[in-house]
Amino acid sequence: MITVSGKSVCWREGMTVADLLKQIDDSQAYAVVRINDSYVTRPNFGKTVIPDNSEVFLIPMIAGG
Amino acid sequence: MDAKTKETFIGGKGYDLWLLWNAVKPTTKWNDPENEICIAAGPLGGTPIYPGSGKSIVTTLSPTTATVIDSNVGGYFGPYLKFSGFDALEIQGKTSNNVVIFIDGVDQKIQLFESTGLPDDAYELSATLTEYFAAGKPRSISVVSTGPGAKNTLIGCLNFTWYDVKRKRARYKQAGRGGIGTVFADKGIKALVARWDNVTADTNNPANKSALKNVAKLHSREIVELDPKQNEMRRIGTTHLVTIMNDHDLLPTHNFRYGQHREAPNIGQAVYRPLFDPGFDGCWMGCTVACSHGIKDFVPLTGPYKGQNVFVDGPEYETIAGCGSNLGIFDPHTVVEMNFYCDTYGLDTISAGTAIAFAMECYELGLINETHTGGLRLNFGNRLGALELVHQMAKGEGFGHVVGQGVRKMKEIFAKDFGADRKIMQDVGMEAKGLEFSEYMTKESLAQQGGYGLALKGPQHDEAWLIFMDMVHNFIPTFEQKAEALHWFPMFRTWFGLCGLCKLPWNDIIPEDNKDTSEPAKIMKHVQWYAEYFSSVTGRKTTPDDLIKMSEVVYNFQRIFNLRMGFGRREHDAIPYRAVGPVTEEEYLSREERYDKQLAEFHKVDINGKSTAEKIAILRQHREEQYEKLKNAVYNRRGWSSDGIPNLKTVKRLGIDFPEILELLKTHGVA
Ligand code: SF4
Repeated sequence: MITVSGKSVCWREGMTVADLLKQIDDSQAYAVVRINDSYVTRPNFGKTVIPDNSEVFLIPMIAGG
Repeated sequence: MDAKTKETFIGGKGYDLWLLWNAVKPTTKWNDPENEICIAAGPLGGTPIYPGSGKSIVTTLSPTTATVIDSNVGGYFGPYLKFSGFDALEIQGKTSNNVVIFIDGVDQKIQLFESTGLPDDAYELSATLTEYFAAGKPRSISVVSTGPGAKNTLIGCLNFTWYDVKRKRARYKQAGRGGIGTVFADKGIKALVARWDNVTADTNNPANKSALKNVAKLHSREIVELDPKQNEMRRIGTTHLVTIMNDHDLLPTHNFRYGQHREAPNIGQAVYRPLFDPGFDGCWMGCTVACSHGIKDFVPLTGPYKGQNVFVDGPEYETIAGCGSNLGIFDPHTVVEMNFYCDTYGLDTISAGTAIAFAMECYELGLINETHTGGLRLNFGNRLGALELVHQMAKGEGFGHVVGQGVRKMKEIFAKDFGADRKIMQDVGMEAKGLEFSEYMTKESLAQQGGYGLALKGPQHDEAWLIFMDMVHNFIPTFEQKAEALHWFPMFRTWFGLCGLCKLPWNDIIPEDNKDTSEPAKIMKHVQWYAEYFSSVTGRKTTPDDLIKMSEVVYNFQRIFNLRMGFGRREHDAIPYRAVGPVTEEEYLSREERYDKQLAEFHKVDINGKSTAEKIAILRQHREEQYEKLKNAVYNRRGWSSDGIPNLKTVKRLGIDFPEILELLKTHGVA
């Protein structure tokens, strides 16, 4: 099990960030997520595997900076 | 201020500009006595219960751009100045007496001290003056000062203090851009000190306290709830941006040649997180973002503080990129040391970083050599070389003295005195309007090229940061959409400067339901809160559209101010080609697939058989054309002529059709 922005989501072996975003079907276009203390960006979504028991945070980043 | 002026210029930057406009002439130079430094807090500044409400806005005529510069800075000075009875401070004239100006709101007096024997650098001076004036209450003091670097370069900054009760020390934030510290030093001012006692929700005298409390609570609570789930700015400041920018090819490295480097994680949040001293780091009271972190017990390896334990305020993203990756330096310790000494010496970390990066590139290109640099081998990555330049800037000695003149003047010196090629320096010297670029890559974002190039004061991202909207999310694909973004975002961001606010609480922590709104980039829920906040403090019923109109008035006035000083036209919105596309073959080849694809698919160019040099030239022609088209679209949206001058209809609509403005416009063919 992992939590995604505070909500529990089932975890499966080999699950990537890209898989997760497809699964939760969120309408927002995320470019960045945080897994525990590490930031993962869109170019790496497909190759970053989420470990079990992770806390995942979906980070809306649009016009900051 | 009479009622009409108040309604027109609102406060903060608006008041500063109006005071400065009335003080200077078109011929005034930055170091003339009549040039002024204006500081104002804005009507909302000094509210302790609404996050990010303690900014001071500082303006002057800049030594590097020769026209108006403005900077938005934290620390307690602006609010204390206002509570002492002054909406704005206007400093004119010059003295040779190292004056300390003490504005004492508690005892209601102003004193001017001639000073001798005070420390030269801001680190010690801030602590000394805080202790001297505190009368046992150091939190009641805020000091504004600079350092020897400001006197000996053109890129001096001002340090504004706030007292950190837990750590028992004066901390500071910087009004960095455009050499305001240099003007301050040139005036012979040693420091400004403001004193005020307790601050409560009543101190700013809000028109409707209960409405203020309601909206402040909503925003404050949301930040406390969501920041830990989003960027954790309360824990790591803006350091998370380093690897995020790096992954998107947006982190400047090697004088903006590239946007990515494999060693970038060495200067990212994972490294700084454990270095930051945990605790409350709000640069104004009650700011729940509290992102102004610092490092304690840091031991510099060079300079006058070598081997001593010091506290360093920072680093933030801009300093890490400017004094780190953009110099090819990926050592976190060097970045912190550059940060410490730049602040202490009163140097802007962004301009210092971008200027050193330019010098390093010129050295690597063979445009300058050791005979010019005083023996320094200025290859990218030379950590001690970069630090040595900072120390030389402080002393006004050696090659550091040349670098401290900023990129525009360096180009002139290198060409005239060292015979360096002007054309290549024009392409890679990262300045526009005379101001050094802040630290984002713009090659793949036309909208952000406009965000920098069309910014009134020069390439600082505080007007518009559209890279993600444009390049990553592709929300604004057409010229019209980019122009609309380059209208709305600079206007809304300007509003923070009118009111004495920090923009971070607006769009660095985002409501969970924001994604369901029609324009997620604007964070309209927060914009609505800001309108309510303004209404509750001033008693002037305000809608989100009113906020944009307030800014439009001051924004256009500033553009016209530039025009009055001999700038503010289309030609002044030019940017170096390094900001637009690949200058060298090395740059093109490093992203060959991307550029080839763009030429073939987007510009429909047959690239078969073309050399790299030919492809660079064709791409350049297309990209430069696009930038010019963008200018047309933005000028049109803003109600400006094709030469970038606000037209009559615009100044009338905004109520700034004063006789002297109409006269000025007439001399520029606008009638
Ligand atoms: S968000 Fe950060 S910079 Fe802005 S006021 Fe708060 S502490 Fe200061």
